[in-house]
Amino acid sequence: MSQLNTANAPFLRTLAPLLRGLERRLRYWHDLRLLYPVSAIQRAELEGLTDDLHRKAEALDVDQPLLVVMLMGGTGVGKSSLMNALAGAAIAPASFERPTTRDPVVYFHQSIEPERLDPALRLCRLVKHDRDALRQKIIVDTPDVDSNDLTNREKLVSVLPVADVVLYVGSQEKYHDQLGWELFKDHRQRSAFAFILNKWDRCVQTGPSGVRPDADLLKDLKNEGFEKPRLFRTTAQAWIDAAKANKSQPDQLPDGEQFQELRDWLEVGLTRLEIEAVKARGVGQLFDQLMRSLNGIRPPDLTAEAEKVRLEWKSTLGDASGMASEVLVGTLDPRRSDIENYFNLRGQDRFRGLMAAYLKLTSLRYSWRAFRPTLSVRTTSQKPEDDFELATFARGCARRAGERSLDQRNQALVNTLLVEANQVGFPLSILNDRTIQASRVNWDERWMQGVVESLNDVERELSNPQGSRAIVRQAVRLISNVLPEGALIASIFLLLWRFFLVEDFTPSLFHVFLPLFVTFGVLVLCHVLVMIVFPLRWPAIREQFQDLLKVRLNEEYSRIYLPIPGELAMGVLSERTTVDEIIRELKESSEWLTARESAAKVDELYGR
Amino acid sequence: MNETKAHREQLAQLAADYDWLEEYCRQHPDLGRHAGQLRLAAALTRNVVGGSLEQRPDTPLHIAVVGGAGSGKSTVANFLVGSVVAEANPQAGYTRHPIAFTASPLSSWPSYLGFLGPLRRLDENQPSNLDEDVYQVHPVTMPQTDDPLADDVIWDCPDMTTWASTGYVSRLIEISALADVIVYVASDERYNDEVPTQFLQMLVQAGKAVVVVLTKMREADAPSLVEHFKNEVLSKIHNTGTIPPIPIVAMPSLTEAERADPAQAGARYRVQLLNQILVLCPSAHDARKRTLQNAIQYLESSLEQLLDVAKTDLTDLETWKTAVENGRKVFEDRYRKEYLSGESFRRLDRTRHQLLELLEPPGSAQYIGRAFSFIRLPYTLGRDFLFRSIYQSEASHLPEQTVLQNALASWLEQLQAESLRRTNTIGIWKSINQAFDSGLKQQSQERFQVQSRTFELMQGDELDRAGRALIDQLEANTSLLNFLRYGKIALDAVAIITVIALTWIPSWYHLLLIPVAVAISHIMAECVVWWRVDRIRASARTKRIEQLSAQISDPLAKWFEEWPTHGGSPIERMQIVLRRVPENLKALSAAIRSPKTV
Repeated sequence: MSQLNTANAPFLRTLAPLLRGLERRLRYWHDLRLLYPVSAIQRAELEGLTDDLHRKAEALDVDQPLLVVMLMGGTGVGKSSLMNALAGAAIAPASFERPTTRDPVVYFHQSIEPERLDPALRLCRLVKHDRDALRQKIIVDTPDVDSNDLTNREKLVSVLPVADVVLYVGSQEKYHDQLGWELFKDHRQRSAFAFILNKWDRCVQTGPSGVRPDADLLKDLKNEGFEKPRLFRTTAQAWIDAAKANKSQPDQLPDGEQFQELRDWLEVGLTRLEIEAVKARGVGQLFDQLMRSLNGIRPPDLTAEAEKVRLEWKSTLGDASGMASEVLVGTLDPRRSDIENYFNLRGQDRFRGLMAAYLKLTSLRYSWRAFRPTLSVRTTSQKPEDDFELATFARGCARRAGERSLDQRNQALVNTLLVEANQVGFPLSILNDRTIQASRVNWDERWMQGVVESLNDVERELSNPQGSRAIVRQAVRLISNVLPEGALIASIFLLLWRFFLVEDFTPSLFHVFLPLFVTFGVLVLCHVLVMIVFPLRWPAIREQFQDLLKVRLNEEYSRIYLPIPGELAMGVLSERTTVDEIIRELKESSEWLTARESAAKVDELYGR
Repeated sequence: MNETKAHREQLAQLAADYDWLEEYCRQHPDLGRHAGQLRLAAALTRNVVGGSLEQRPDTPLHIAVVGGAGSGKSTVANFLVGSVVAEANPQAGYTRHPIAFTASPLSSWPSYLGFLGPLRRLDENQPSNLDEDVYQVHPVTMPQTDDPLADDVIWDCPDMTTWASTGYVSRLIEISALADVIVYVASDERYNDEVPTQFLQMLVQAGKAVVVVLTKMREADAPSLVEHFKNEVLSKIHNTGTIPPIPIVAMPSLTEAERADPAQAGARYRVQLLNQILVLCPSAHDARKRTLQNAIQYLESSLEQLLDVAKTDLTDLETWKTAVENGRKVFEDRYRKEYLSGESFRRLDRTRHQLLELLEPPGSAQYIGRAFSFIRLPYTLGRDFLFRSIYQSEASHLPEQTVLQNALASWLEQLQAESLRRTNTIGIWKSINQAFDSGLKQQSQERFQVQSRTFELMQGDELDRAGRALIDQLEANTSLLNFLRYGKIALDAVAIITVIALTWIPSWYHLLLIPVAVAISHIMAECVVWWRVDRIRASARTKRIEQLSAQISDPLAKWFEEWPTHGGSPIERMQIVLRRVPENLKALSAAIRSPKTV
């Protein structure tokens, strides 16, 4: 026996750091800002269990672990009487007034420093004794579970997790009252349970029918999985009366009274071996509960769903960008001349000399538009000398398109995305906030950028063509830059030649203006050529522009929305890994514990 | 006769509605606390109000013995009867169904429909731990024929404290509702327990006369325990004043002999107990009247509780309606912005031309008109050119149907997303969500199709009618029309003459002024016509939105809003119940209070 004891003592103590390690991990988990929603109830349960881990670690990190035995039951069943009978003195108040005990009474050996008690017990009424048989045990009398004073129940529930062994005390009337029974069921996974049927004298009065309360209680317990529970039938009051009369035991006891056995069990039966077994078992139960509760909050693996959502969203966003580009181009339609003009101005840079001057002259016809009422595109304060500012223009269009329909469509788009994600099995609770947040970017700015860049792209593409078209264009450009001046010089030369060298030539007014006419004709011809080769008309570029815009908007949409499900899934997955790691650690610890569990006879204190 | 039948129907309906509410509360975890009170309401309706409507005689009075498990209810029942009739044994919670003891002839036993609701009367004797919805009636003989309770029925009821009692507490409530007097038994262990005290509170609220019997204490402790009970428990029971003060009888732990012979050996306790009951019920008629009035008062005062039960659902319904309403606004807004703002109603241009043509004179005068229009040609051409270069077509827009379809789809998706966001709660949102999974979208699309067909037809008609009306109005007013026609020609002629007269003798370039002068009258006419047609256009726009509201969005929104309250959903039943219970209760209480029945 003593050998076993020494072999076991470090074993319990080695559990303490293990429990602390687990506690740390769990606290870390609590502090995380979780993506996967955990209900308040689950969170509170897990926090309670973490507190239990802490408590157990503290309790085990000593040379001689203390066993906390707690009396639990309804008011008037005789918890305090039992306590007094066990103590052999009136240490707990007992009276006919209900409820009697309002604060827990802690009965412990004088050798134990009060600081060693669990914090929850330190604030209770402390009563010391000098009975060596109870050296390692702390007996706690608790307030009732069922009276009208609800604070009593709260106090009981707050100290109950400290118990290693709960003595469920019932009387003839209350042995299976609902409130006590529910509390027993709540706590049976957390501590060992033994049962006391007090006021046994009232139970043995037989009636014409019905079963004896102890048999009834045993049947109830069997249904709860306690095949052979430890049940003591007691009459505490008789023992108190005997002690008052200085007798070692009452004169008359009803048949089957077992108070003596209860006392013996507490004093002698619960040896160090049993205490350690109960402690180890308590830790094992805590592990089991933690595992159950962690399995309940274990986030799912959403990577597959996230991929599905991504595919689904991709096509939706494609449609959405098509729609948006259509709306934007639709807003540009009435402003086609502005765009054409813009291109024209840009195009003039390609030409020199007469052709450039001519083009500038022709584009004057656009400038009168500066005076007509327009969209609020041209803000007067902004560069009045710059007739057409592309960014301002595009911003105006984007704002107008936004006001007209794009803003509402974006709202609708978020809903569409969320509904689609839900349909492929991605939980909305995770996705909702992120998606809505993502949708709150400045869309006007993005559309403006899209319009500006797409216009520039179209223009760039036009000015840098490939293959034969490039040659043709080059040729046209060359011709346009050279031919008008050539024509002017040639016709003037011709005129001068005829005037000086050819006889009887008198120049009329017509002859004088002829070089101008010819040059003008050439310019017009070149202009026609330019118009044909450089398609700067809006209808010609509209489609290309819309396609480019669509691609650009699609990129923008994809950049904003597409990564969301994947990122969230990864986040949830990492949460899942964290939980899995804790579970794995718990499992290992619990296996280790089972392998070392001693052969003490404590099974009867636990149900299935 | 017909009236009685109607009342019976109302009564049955009222009880059924209470039953439904009770069941509803049981299914909703946070409403469980209401279940007991609703059961009490149903039982009061059946047994007290129903009994009164059925002209039940004043006797027998019903005395129900209630209390926590093992507190000695069966023993107290034996003392009331005066002999050992109820099974008293130490097993807590042994009695599982109510058992009646009566000395009055069984032929007077009430047997109308609905009496004791779901409880079935057992024909033969069974042990009292039979756990079924039944009751037994045991004939007994009282110690004396003129015993105070000889005409009464004494009910030994199950407990409400053991874990098994959740299964049978409804039987206890049923009998408590029937009772005219409640004998509340509390032992020295139980008297300050929460569950029995709450039950007592409920019965006091329901206006039941109560006698408290405190049992099992030591004889010496009895007076102080009674005092303590009065201060600790009774003082906290809220008595609205409809019942007499609650007397307390102490019955300390009994000897074997007292237990075995309540009438003789236990006489001192029995007499005390019977006296208190007699004080509460000086006459059967008054006692019954009190039971009835208090029951009705309780039912009326508990109407607020119904709203409490329905609160979550009603709030959810409100939220849903707000969501639908928001969706409707967005729907109409989208139509206005995406379609209507770009729509210029080209049909009205035709009206404009027709109006201008109408102003040209008929008959031989038309040649003059044509001549003038020819002179005006430079103006017309210049105007068209200017117009074409200034005029900017509004941004191109999608066809009306497409816009509406898109807006509807968005509306539906907004509702679905909203319901998905809230679906973790039970109730309406869950059922809405399920509906979205099972074709709510399709149904609404179909409804939309039907509605939009009429809407589409209306547009063309409306515009044509408005334009036609303008033309007809002018055509009908012949004098005005002629005045305008010839006035215009006259104005043109005057303009030409004025030009020639002022520039006499005119040179060729003076003649260039003539087309300008002739244009003036035409410009005036055009401006007026333009203005009129524009007004039609503006009103067409507003009308169109109104039509959309009336034809599509209003009916759809209404349909959405009412959707959760249709098709046999719990919320539909809830609304019916909320409407029906006060109505029926009012009718019944009026019927009972009218002197004819009383």
